[in-house]
Amino acid sequence: MGERVVICIGTKKGLFVAEGSKKRKKFELRGPFGAGVAVYSALIDARGAPRLYASSCNAFFGMKVLRSTDLGKSFKETRAAPAFPQDDGRALANIWALEPGEGKKGLYAGVEPASLFHSADGGDSWELVPGISNHEHSRKWNPGNGGLCLHTIVRDGERMHLGISTGGHYLSEDGGQSFQASNQGVGAGFSPDPYPEFGQCVHKIARHPDAPGRLYMQNHGGWSEWTGEGGPRPDIGVLRSDDHGKSWRSISKGLPSDFGFPIAVHPQDPDTVYVMPLEPMTRTCPGGRPALWRSENGGDSWSRLTKGLPKKESFFTVLRDALDVDELASPALYFGTTTGQLWIGHDGGEEWECLFDSLPPISCVKVGTV
Amino acid sequence: MSVRIHLSAHLREYADAPAQLEVAATSVRAALAELERNHARVYRSVCDETGALRRHVNLFVNRASVRDLAGQLDTPLRPGDELTLIQAVSGG
Repeated sequence: MGERVVICIGTKKGLFVAEGSKKRKKFELRGPFGAGVAVYSALIDARGAPRLYASSCNAFFGMKVLRSTDLGKSFKETRAAPAFPQDDGRALANIWALEPGEGKKGLYAGVEPASLFHSADGGDSWELVPGISNHEHSRKWNPGNGGLCLHTIVRDGERMHLGISTGGHYLSEDGGQSFQASNQGVGAGFSPDPYPEFGQCVHKIARHPDAPGRLYMQNHGGWSEWTGEGGPRPDIGVLRSDDHGKSWRSISKGLPSDFGFPIAVHPQDPDTVYVMPLEPMTRTCPGGRPALWRSENGGDSWSRLTKGLPKKESFFTVLRDALDVDELASPALYFGTTTGQLWIGHDGGEEWECLFDSLPPISCVKVGTV
Repeated sequence: MSVRIHLSAHLREYADAPAQLEVAATSVRAALAELERNHARVYRSVCDETGALRRHVNLFVNRASVRDLAGQLDTPLRPGDELTLIQAVSGG
Protein backbone atom coordinates (compact mmCIF):
# COMPACT_ATOMS: atom_id res chain seq x y z
CA MET A 1 0.00 0.00 0.00
CA GLY A 2 1.36 3.42 -0.93
CA GLU A 3 2.23 6.28 1.36
CA ARG A 4 0.54 9.15 -0.47
CA VAL A 5 -3.11 9.64 -1.32
CA VAL A 6 -3.66 11.20 -4.73
CA ILE A 7 -7.01 12.49 -5.98
CA CYS A 8 -7.59 13.32 -9.63
CA ILE A 9 -10.45 15.78 -9.96
CA GLY A 10 -11.80 16.21 -13.48
CA THR A 11 -13.69 19.46 -13.93
CA LYS A 12 -15.33 21.50 -16.63
CA LYS A 13 -12.23 23.70 -16.70
CA GLY A 14 -9.42 21.18 -16.48
CA LEU A 15 -7.84 18.58 -14.22
CA PHE A 16 -6.83 19.23 -10.63
CA VAL A 17 -4.65 16.89 -8.58
CA ALA A 18 -4.80 16.81 -4.79
CA GLU A 19 -2.11 15.03 -2.78
CA GLY A 20 -1.94 14.28 0.92
CA SER A 21 -0.67 11.82 3.48
CA LYS A 22 -2.49 8.66 4.57
CA LYS A 23 -3.96 10.65 7.46
CA ARG A 24 -6.05 12.48 4.86
CA LYS A 25 -6.26 15.65 6.93
CA LYS A 26 -4.66 18.07 4.49
CA PHE A 27 -4.39 17.96 0.74
CA GLU A 28 -2.28 20.14 -1.53
CA LEU A 29 -4.05 21.12 -4.75
CA ARG A 30 -2.32 21.42 -8.12
CA GLY A 31 -3.72 22.50 -11.47
CA PRO A 32 -5.63 23.09 -13.54
CA PHE A 33 -3.94 20.97 -16.18
CA GLY A 34 -5.41 21.21 -19.65
CA ALA A 35 -6.76 24.51 -18.37
CA GLY A 36 -10.16 25.52 -19.65
CA VAL A 37 -10.89 22.11 -21.16
CA ALA A 38 -13.38 19.61 -19.74
CA VAL A 39 -12.03 16.42 -18.15
CA TYR A 40 -14.53 13.56 -17.95
CA SER A 41 -12.18 10.71 -17.12
CA ALA A 42 -8.99 10.08 -15.19
CA LEU A 43 -6.94 7.11 -14.10
CA ILE A 44 -4.39 6.65 -11.34
CA ASP A 45 -2.32 3.77 -12.67
CA ALA A 46 -0.27 2.15 -9.91
CA ARG A 47 1.08 -0.71 -12.04
CA GLY A 48 4.84 -0.17 -11.82
CA ALA A 49 5.94 3.46 -11.57
CA PRO A 50 2.75 5.45 -10.91
CA ARG A 51 1.23 7.25 -13.87
CA LEU A 52 -1.75 9.55 -13.96
CA TYR A 53 -3.92 9.83 -17.04
CA ALA A 54 -6.73 12.20 -17.91
CA SER A 55 -8.82 12.89 -20.95
CA SER A 56 -8.89 16.48 -22.17
CA CYS A 57 -11.65 17.02 -24.66
CA ASN A 58 -11.62 20.46 -26.18
CA ALA A 59 -15.00 21.37 -27.62
CA PHE A 60 -13.26 23.33 -30.37
CA PHE A 61 -10.12 21.45 -31.20
CA GLY A 62 -10.71 17.82 -30.26
CA MET A 63 -9.27 15.22 -27.95
CA LYS A 64 -6.08 14.69 -26.02
CA VAL A 65 -4.98 12.12 -23.48
CA LEU A 66 -2.75 13.67 -20.81
CA ARG A 67 -0.17 11.63 -18.90
CA SER A 68 1.88 12.44 -15.81
CA THR A 69 4.87 10.49 -14.50
CA ASP A 70 5.50 12.79 -11.50
CA LEU A 71 2.27 12.29 -9.54
CA GLY A 72 0.48 15.12 -11.24
CA LYS A 73 3.07 17.85 -10.92
CA SER A 74 3.12 18.09 -14.73
CA PHE A 75 1.27 16.49 -17.63
CA LYS A 76 2.21 15.86 -21.24
CA GLU A 77 0.01 14.87 -24.14
CA THR A 78 0.41 11.24 -25.24
CA ARG A 79 1.45 10.72 -28.86
CA ALA A 80 -2.13 10.05 -29.95
CA ALA A 81 -5.69 10.11 -28.72
CA PRO A 82 -8.32 7.55 -29.71
CA ALA A 83 -9.73 8.22 -33.18
CA PHE A 84 -12.08 6.28 -35.43
CA PRO A 85 -10.72 4.92 -38.70
CA GLN A 86 -11.20 7.51 -41.44
CA ASP A 87 -13.73 5.39 -43.34
CA ASP A 88 -15.81 4.66 -40.23
CA GLY A 89 -17.91 7.80 -40.49
CA ARG A 90 -17.93 8.46 -36.75
CA ALA A 91 -15.91 11.18 -35.07
CA LEU A 92 -14.84 11.18 -31.43
CA ALA A 93 -16.78 13.60 -29.26
CA ASN A 94 -15.48 12.78 -25.77
CA ILE A 95 -13.56 10.28 -23.65
CA TRP A 96 -15.65 9.04 -20.74
CA ALA A 97 -13.56 6.26 -19.23
CA LEU A 98 -9.89 5.36 -18.85
CA GLU A 99 -9.13 1.97 -17.29
CA PRO A 100 -6.10 -0.32 -17.02
CA GLY A 101 -5.75 -3.13 -19.53
CA GLU A 102 -3.35 -6.05 -19.67
CA GLY A 103 0.26 -5.98 -18.48
CA LYS A 104 1.81 -2.76 -17.28
CA LYS A 105 0.91 -0.52 -20.20
CA GLY A 106 -2.43 -1.75 -21.50
CA LEU A 107 -5.21 0.83 -21.37
CA TYR A 108 -8.85 1.00 -22.39
CA ALA A 109 -10.79 4.13 -23.25
CA GLY A 110 -14.56 4.33 -23.39
CA VAL A 111 -15.69 7.12 -25.67
CA GLU A 112 -18.57 9.05 -27.18
CA PRO A 113 -20.08 8.01 -29.56
CA ALA A 114 -20.22 4.77 -27.61
CA SER A 115 -17.15 2.74 -28.56
CA LEU A 116 -14.13 1.16 -26.95
CA PHE A 117 -10.48 1.74 -27.76
CA HIS A 118 -7.41 -0.19 -26.59
CA SER A 119 -3.83 0.96 -26.19
CA ALA A 120 -0.95 -1.48 -25.69
CA ASP A 121 1.65 1.22 -25.06
CA GLY A 122 0.32 3.42 -22.27
CA GLY A 123 -1.78 5.69 -24.46
CA ASP A 124 0.65 6.52 -27.27
CA SER A 125 -1.38 4.62 -29.86
CA TRP A 126 -4.97 3.38 -29.89
CA GLU A 127 -7.00 0.79 -31.77
CA LEU A 128 -10.75 0.46 -32.02
CA VAL A 129 -12.14 -2.63 -30.27
CA PRO A 130 -14.53 -3.83 -32.95
CA GLY A 131 -16.44 -6.42 -30.91
CA ILE A 132 -18.38 -3.68 -29.15
CA SER A 133 -17.70 -0.61 -31.29
CA ASN A 134 -19.07 -2.30 -34.41
CA HIS A 135 -21.61 -4.46 -32.59
CA GLU A 136 -24.77 -5.10 -34.57
CA HIS A 137 -26.66 -3.05 -31.95
CA SER A 138 -24.29 -0.08 -32.04
CA ARG A 139 -26.10 1.94 -34.68
CA LYS A 140 -29.37 1.46 -32.77
CA TRP A 141 -28.14 2.92 -29.48
CA ASN A 142 -29.40 6.39 -28.66
CA PRO A 143 -27.76 9.22 -26.77
CA GLY A 144 -28.81 9.94 -23.21
CA ASN A 145 -28.77 13.42 -21.76
CA GLY A 146 -24.98 13.33 -21.54
CA GLY A 147 -24.48 11.96 -25.03
CA LEU A 148 -24.10 8.42 -26.39
CA CYS A 149 -21.24 7.27 -24.24
CA LEU A 150 -19.43 4.13 -23.19
CA HIS A 151 -18.63 5.20 -19.66
CA THR A 152 -17.92 2.06 -17.65
CA ILE A 153 -15.28 -0.62 -18.20
CA VAL A 154 -15.09 -3.36 -15.56
CA ARG A 155 -12.59 -6.16 -16.16
CA ASP A 156 -12.68 -9.54 -14.43
CA GLY A 157 -10.19 -11.90 -16.02
CA GLU A 158 -11.49 -12.80 -19.46
CA ARG A 159 -14.79 -11.12 -18.65
CA MET A 160 -15.37 -7.50 -19.49
CA HIS A 161 -18.46 -5.55 -18.48
CA LEU A 162 -19.32 -2.35 -20.31
CA GLY A 163 -21.88 0.28 -19.37
CA ILE A 164 -23.36 2.30 -22.22
CA SER A 165 -25.80 5.17 -21.98
CA THR A 166 -28.07 4.43 -23.63
CA GLY A 167 -27.17 0.95 -24.76
CA GLY A 168 -27.22 -1.02 -21.53
CA HIS A 169 -24.85 -3.59 -20.09
CA TYR A 170 -22.68 -5.59 -22.48
CA LEU A 171 -20.65 -8.61 -21.44
CA SER A 172 -17.63 -10.21 -23.02
CA GLU A 173 -16.41 -13.59 -21.82
CA ASP A 174 -13.53 -13.87 -24.27
CA GLY A 175 -11.33 -10.97 -23.26
CA GLY A 176 -13.16 -8.35 -25.26
CA GLN A 177 -13.29 -10.13 -28.62
CA SER A 178 -17.07 -10.38 -28.67
CA PHE A 179 -19.88 -8.89 -26.60
CA GLN A 180 -23.48 -9.76 -25.84
CA ALA A 181 -26.18 -7.49 -24.45
CA SER A 182 -26.78 -8.80 -20.93
CA ASN A 183 -29.70 -6.91 -19.47
CA GLN A 184 -32.10 -9.46 -18.00
CA GLY A 185 -33.78 -7.59 -15.14
CA VAL A 186 -32.39 -4.20 -16.19
CA GLY A 187 -35.36 -1.92 -16.79
CA ALA A 188 -35.78 1.05 -19.08
CA GLY A 189 -38.25 3.78 -18.16
CA PHE A 190 -38.22 5.58 -21.46
CA SER A 191 -39.32 2.79 -23.79
CA PRO A 192 -42.71 1.10 -24.13
CA ASP A 193 -41.04 -2.23 -23.37
CA PRO A 194 -39.98 -2.05 -19.70
CA TYR A 195 -37.31 -4.72 -20.18
CA PRO A 196 -35.83 -4.46 -23.69
CA GLU A 197 -32.94 -6.61 -24.86
CA PHE A 198 -30.74 -3.50 -24.98
CA GLY A 199 -31.05 0.27 -24.92
CA GLN A 200 -31.12 0.78 -21.14
CA CYS A 201 -29.56 3.88 -19.66
CA VAL A 202 -27.01 2.26 -17.37
CA HIS A 203 -25.30 4.89 -15.23
CA LYS A 204 -22.50 2.94 -13.48
CA ILE A 205 -21.41 -0.61 -12.65
CA ALA A 206 -19.12 -1.69 -9.80
CA ARG A 207 -17.69 -4.97 -8.53
CA HIS A 208 -15.43 -6.32 -5.79
CA PRO A 209 -12.76 -8.90 -6.56
CA ASP A 210 -13.60 -10.95 -3.46
CA ALA A 211 -17.17 -11.61 -4.59
CA PRO A 212 -16.90 -13.51 -7.86
CA GLY A 213 -19.91 -13.03 -10.05
CA ARG A 214 -21.41 -10.19 -8.04
CA LEU A 215 -21.94 -6.79 -9.63
CA TYR A 216 -23.79 -3.68 -8.55
CA MET A 217 -25.44 -1.29 -10.99
CA GLN A 218 -26.86 2.21 -10.77
CA ASN A 219 -29.34 2.29 -13.62
CA HIS A 220 -31.55 5.17 -14.74
CA GLY A 221 -34.38 4.88 -12.22
CA GLY A 222 -37.11 7.30 -11.24
CA TRP A 223 -39.97 5.69 -13.15
CA SER A 224 -42.15 4.43 -10.30
CA GLU A 225 -44.94 6.90 -11.08
CA TRP A 226 -44.94 6.52 -14.83
CA THR A 227 -48.52 6.14 -16.11
CA GLY A 228 -47.83 5.87 -19.82
CA GLU A 229 -47.52 2.83 -22.02
CA GLY A 230 -45.96 -0.12 -20.26
CA GLY A 231 -46.99 1.14 -16.82
CA PRO A 232 -44.89 2.10 -13.79
CA ARG A 233 -41.41 0.66 -13.37
CA PRO A 234 -40.59 0.91 -9.68
CA ASP A 235 -37.19 0.01 -8.41
CA ILE A 236 -35.34 -0.37 -11.70
CA GLY A 237 -32.61 2.01 -10.58
CA VAL A 238 -30.33 0.14 -8.18
CA LEU A 239 -29.56 -3.45 -9.12
CA ARG A 240 -27.40 -6.41 -8.23
CA SER A 241 -26.22 -9.44 -10.17
CA ASP A 242 -24.86 -12.65 -8.69
CA ASP A 243 -24.16 -14.46 -11.95
CA HIS A 244 -21.53 -12.31 -13.64
CA GLY A 245 -24.09 -9.89 -15.02
CA LYS A 246 -26.28 -12.45 -16.75
CA SER A 247 -29.31 -11.37 -14.71
CA TRP A 248 -30.07 -8.51 -12.36
CA ARG A 249 -32.47 -7.84 -9.47
CA SER A 250 -33.53 -4.71 -7.64
CA ILE A 251 -31.88 -3.71 -4.36
CA SER A 252 -33.40 -0.25 -4.19
CA LYS A 253 -35.91 -0.91 -1.40
CA GLY A 254 -35.32 1.55 1.42
CA LEU A 255 -33.73 4.28 -0.67
CA PRO A 256 -35.45 7.68 -0.99
CA SER A 257 -35.03 7.53 -4.78
CA ASP A 258 -33.76 4.85 -7.11
CA PHE A 259 -32.32 7.54 -9.40
CA GLY A 260 -28.65 8.38 -9.14
CA PHE A 261 -25.43 8.27 -11.09
CA PRO A 262 -22.49 6.70 -9.20
CA ILE A 263 -22.20 3.44 -7.30
CA ALA A 264 -19.14 2.27 -5.36
CA VAL A 265 -18.10 -0.77 -3.31
CA HIS A 266 -16.13 -0.80 -0.06
CA PRO A 267 -12.54 -1.88 -0.83
CA GLN A 268 -12.46 -4.57 1.87
CA ASP A 269 -16.09 -5.67 2.05
CA PRO A 270 -18.04 -6.72 -1.03
CA ASP A 271 -21.30 -6.48 0.93
CA THR A 272 -20.86 -2.75 1.55
CA VAL A 273 -22.04 -0.60 -1.31
CA TYR A 274 -22.66 3.14 -1.64
CA VAL A 275 -25.08 5.18 -3.76
CA MET A 276 -26.06 8.85 -3.94
CA PRO A 277 -29.84 9.03 -4.54
CA LEU A 278 -31.08 12.06 -6.46
CA GLU A 279 -34.48 13.47 -7.34
CA PRO A 280 -35.21 12.00 -10.76
CA MET A 281 -36.68 15.19 -12.23
CA THR A 282 -34.09 17.68 -11.03
CA ARG A 283 -31.20 15.23 -10.51
CA THR A 284 -30.34 17.01 -7.29
CA CYS A 285 -30.23 15.99 -3.62
CA PRO A 286 -33.70 15.02 -2.35
CA GLY A 287 -35.16 17.92 -0.38
CA GLY A 288 -31.91 19.83 -0.68
CA ARG A 289 -30.41 17.54 1.99
CA PRO A 290 -27.48 15.62 0.52
CA ALA A 291 -26.72 12.15 1.81
CA LEU A 292 -24.68 9.18 0.76
CA TRP A 293 -26.52 5.92 1.37
CA ARG A 294 -24.75 2.77 2.45
CA SER A 295 -25.79 -0.84 2.50
CA GLU A 296 -23.71 -3.27 4.55
CA ASN A 297 -25.61 -6.36 3.44
CA GLY A 298 -25.36 -6.27 -0.31
CA GLY A 299 -28.39 -4.07 -0.81
CA ASP A 300 -30.93 -5.72 1.53
CA SER A 301 -31.17 -2.52 3.59
CA TRP A 302 -29.75 0.98 3.49
CA SER A 303 -28.64 3.65 5.96
CA ARG A 304 -28.15 7.37 5.46
CA LEU A 305 -24.72 8.96 5.96
CA THR A 306 -24.96 12.71 6.55
CA LYS A 307 -22.73 13.80 9.42
CA GLY A 308 -20.91 16.93 8.28
CA LEU A 309 -22.88 17.34 5.06
CA PRO A 310 -25.20 20.36 4.60
CA LYS A 311 -28.55 19.87 6.31
CA LYS A 312 -30.53 22.01 3.87
CA GLU A 313 -30.49 24.19 0.74
CA SER A 314 -28.02 22.05 -1.17
CA PHE A 315 -29.20 21.13 -4.63
CA PHE A 316 -26.11 19.77 -6.29
CA THR A 317 -25.62 16.75 -8.53
CA VAL A 318 -22.97 14.05 -8.18
CA LEU A 319 -22.20 12.65 -11.62
CA ARG A 320 -21.48 9.03 -12.53
CA ASP A 321 -17.70 9.16 -12.09
CA ALA A 322 -17.61 11.68 -9.28
CA LEU A 323 -17.62 9.17 -6.37
CA ASP A 324 -14.67 7.04 -5.36
CA VAL A 325 -13.27 5.30 -2.30
CA ASP A 326 -9.64 4.84 -1.29
CA GLU A 327 -8.14 1.48 -0.34
CA LEU A 328 -6.72 2.28 3.10
CA ALA A 329 -7.60 0.23 6.18
CA SER A 330 -10.28 2.69 7.23
CA PRO A 331 -11.28 3.87 3.78
CA ALA A 332 -12.48 7.34 2.99
CA LEU A 333 -15.03 8.16 0.31
CA TYR A 334 -14.71 11.17 -1.95
CA PHE A 335 -17.36 12.84 -4.08
CA GLY A 336 -17.34 15.91 -6.24
CA THR A 337 -20.35 18.06 -7.04
CA THR A 338 -21.56 20.01 -10.01
CA THR A 339 -21.24 23.05 -7.75
CA GLY A 340 -17.48 22.51 -7.50
CA GLN A 341 -17.16 21.04 -4.03
CA LEU A 342 -14.97 18.06 -3.20
CA TRP A 343 -16.09 16.19 -0.10
CA ILE A 344 -14.25 13.51 1.89
CA GLY A 345 -16.16 10.99 4.02
CA HIS A 346 -13.82 9.69 6.73
CA ASP A 347 -14.28 6.22 8.26
CA GLY A 348 -16.26 4.85 5.36
CA GLY A 349 -18.47 7.90 5.06
CA GLU A 350 -19.31 8.29 8.76
CA GLU A 351 -18.08 11.89 8.91
CA TRP A 352 -17.88 14.32 6.01
CA GLU A 353 -15.65 17.30 5.41
CA CYS A 354 -15.45 19.67 2.45
CA LEU A 355 -11.88 19.58 1.14
CA PHE A 356 -12.29 22.14 -1.64
CA ASP A 357 -15.24 24.47 -1.86
CA SER A 358 -14.98 26.39 -5.10
CA LEU A 359 -13.61 24.31 -7.93
CA PRO A 360 -15.23 24.34 -11.37
CA PRO A 361 -18.13 21.86 -11.84
CA ILE A 362 -16.76 18.38 -11.15
CA SER A 363 -17.26 15.48 -13.57
CA CYS A 364 -14.97 12.82 -12.17
CA VAL A 365 -13.08 11.95 -9.00
CA LYS A 366 -10.48 9.17 -8.89
CA VAL A 367 -8.43 8.36 -5.82
CA GLY A 368 -5.36 6.17 -5.40
CA THR A 369 -2.61 5.44 -2.93
CA VAL A 370 0.87 5.56 -4.43
CA MET B 1 1.49 28.20 -55.15
CA SER B 2 2.01 29.16 -51.52
CA VAL B 3 -0.80 30.43 -49.27
CA ARG B 4 -0.57 31.77 -45.77
CA ILE B 5 -2.67 30.32 -42.94
CA HIS B 6 -3.28 32.41 -39.82
CA LEU B 7 -3.95 30.54 -36.57
CA SER B 8 -5.90 31.94 -33.62
CA ALA B 9 -4.13 32.31 -30.28
CA HIS B 10 -6.15 29.45 -28.77
CA LEU B 11 -5.31 27.16 -31.65
CA ARG B 12 -1.64 28.09 -31.52
CA GLU B 13 -1.52 27.21 -27.85
CA TYR B 14 -3.53 24.00 -28.22
CA ALA B 15 -1.53 22.67 -31.16
CA ASP B 16 1.82 24.16 -30.14
CA ALA B 17 2.05 25.95 -33.49
CA PRO B 18 3.25 29.33 -34.78
CA ALA B 19 0.97 32.26 -35.63
CA GLN B 20 1.26 31.69 -39.37
CA LEU B 21 2.03 28.75 -41.60
CA GLU B 22 2.82 28.69 -45.31
CA VAL B 23 1.55 25.77 -47.37
CA ALA B 24 1.55 24.99 -51.07
CA ALA B 25 -2.05 24.48 -52.20
CA THR B 26 -4.49 25.40 -54.95
CA SER B 27 -7.66 24.66 -52.97
CA VAL B 28 -8.83 24.73 -49.37
CA ARG B 29 -8.93 20.94 -49.31
CA ALA B 30 -5.37 20.78 -50.59
CA ALA B 31 -4.30 23.25 -47.91
CA LEU B 32 -5.82 21.04 -45.22
CA ALA B 33 -4.09 18.02 -46.75
CA GLU B 34 -0.80 19.89 -46.50
CA LEU B 35 -1.55 20.59 -42.84
CA GLU B 36 -2.22 16.88 -42.29
CA ARG B 37 1.12 15.99 -43.91
CA ASN B 38 3.33 18.61 -42.34
CA HIS B 39 1.49 20.04 -39.32
CA ALA B 40 -0.44 17.06 -37.96
CA ARG B 41 -1.31 18.60 -34.59
CA VAL B 42 -2.85 21.63 -36.26
CA TYR B 43 -4.75 19.39 -38.66
CA ARG B 44 -6.12 17.16 -35.86
CA SER B 45 -7.22 20.26 -34.00
CA VAL B 46 -9.28 21.64 -36.87
CA CYS B 47 -10.50 18.47 -38.64
CA ASP B 48 -11.99 15.32 -37.13
CA GLU B 49 -11.11 11.80 -38.24
CA THR B 50 -13.71 11.87 -41.02
CA GLY B 51 -11.88 14.79 -42.61
CA ALA B 52 -14.66 17.25 -41.80
CA LEU B 53 -13.92 20.65 -40.35
CA ARG B 54 -14.66 20.46 -36.62
CA ARG B 55 -18.07 21.82 -35.71
CA HIS B 56 -16.77 24.71 -33.62
CA VAL B 57 -13.90 25.70 -35.90
CA ASN B 58 -14.29 28.35 -38.58
CA LEU B 59 -12.10 28.53 -41.65
CA PHE B 60 -12.07 31.80 -43.56
CA VAL B 61 -10.84 32.29 -47.11
CA ASN B 62 -9.80 35.90 -46.89
CA ARG B 63 -12.95 37.30 -45.19
CA ALA B 64 -15.48 34.64 -46.21
CA SER B 65 -16.33 31.58 -44.16
CA VAL B 66 -15.65 28.47 -46.20
CA ARG B 67 -19.07 27.16 -45.10
CA ASP B 68 -20.66 30.07 -47.01
CA LEU B 69 -18.71 29.52 -50.20
CA ALA B 70 -20.21 27.52 -53.05
CA GLY B 71 -17.19 25.28 -53.33
CA GLN B 72 -16.94 24.64 -49.59
CA LEU B 73 -13.68 22.76 -48.99
CA ASP B 74 -13.13 22.49 -52.75
CA THR B 75 -12.98 26.28 -53.08
CA PRO B 76 -10.00 27.12 -55.32
CA LEU B 77 -7.27 29.35 -53.98
CA ARG B 78 -5.53 32.10 -55.92
CA PRO B 79 -2.12 33.67 -55.38
CA GLY B 80 -2.27 36.01 -52.40
CA ASP B 81 -5.29 34.34 -50.75
CA GLU B 82 -5.04 33.98 -47.01
CA LEU B 83 -6.74 31.41 -44.78
CA THR B 84 -7.65 31.96 -41.15
CA LEU B 85 -8.45 29.20 -38.67
CA ILE B 86 -10.28 30.36 -35.56
CA GLN B 87 -12.59 28.78 -33.03
CA ALA B 88 -16.27 29.68 -33.28
CA VAL B 89 -17.63 31.99 -30.60
CA SER B 90 -19.63 29.38 -28.75
CA GLY B 91 -19.52 27.35 -25.59
CA GLY B 92 -19.34 28.69 -22.05
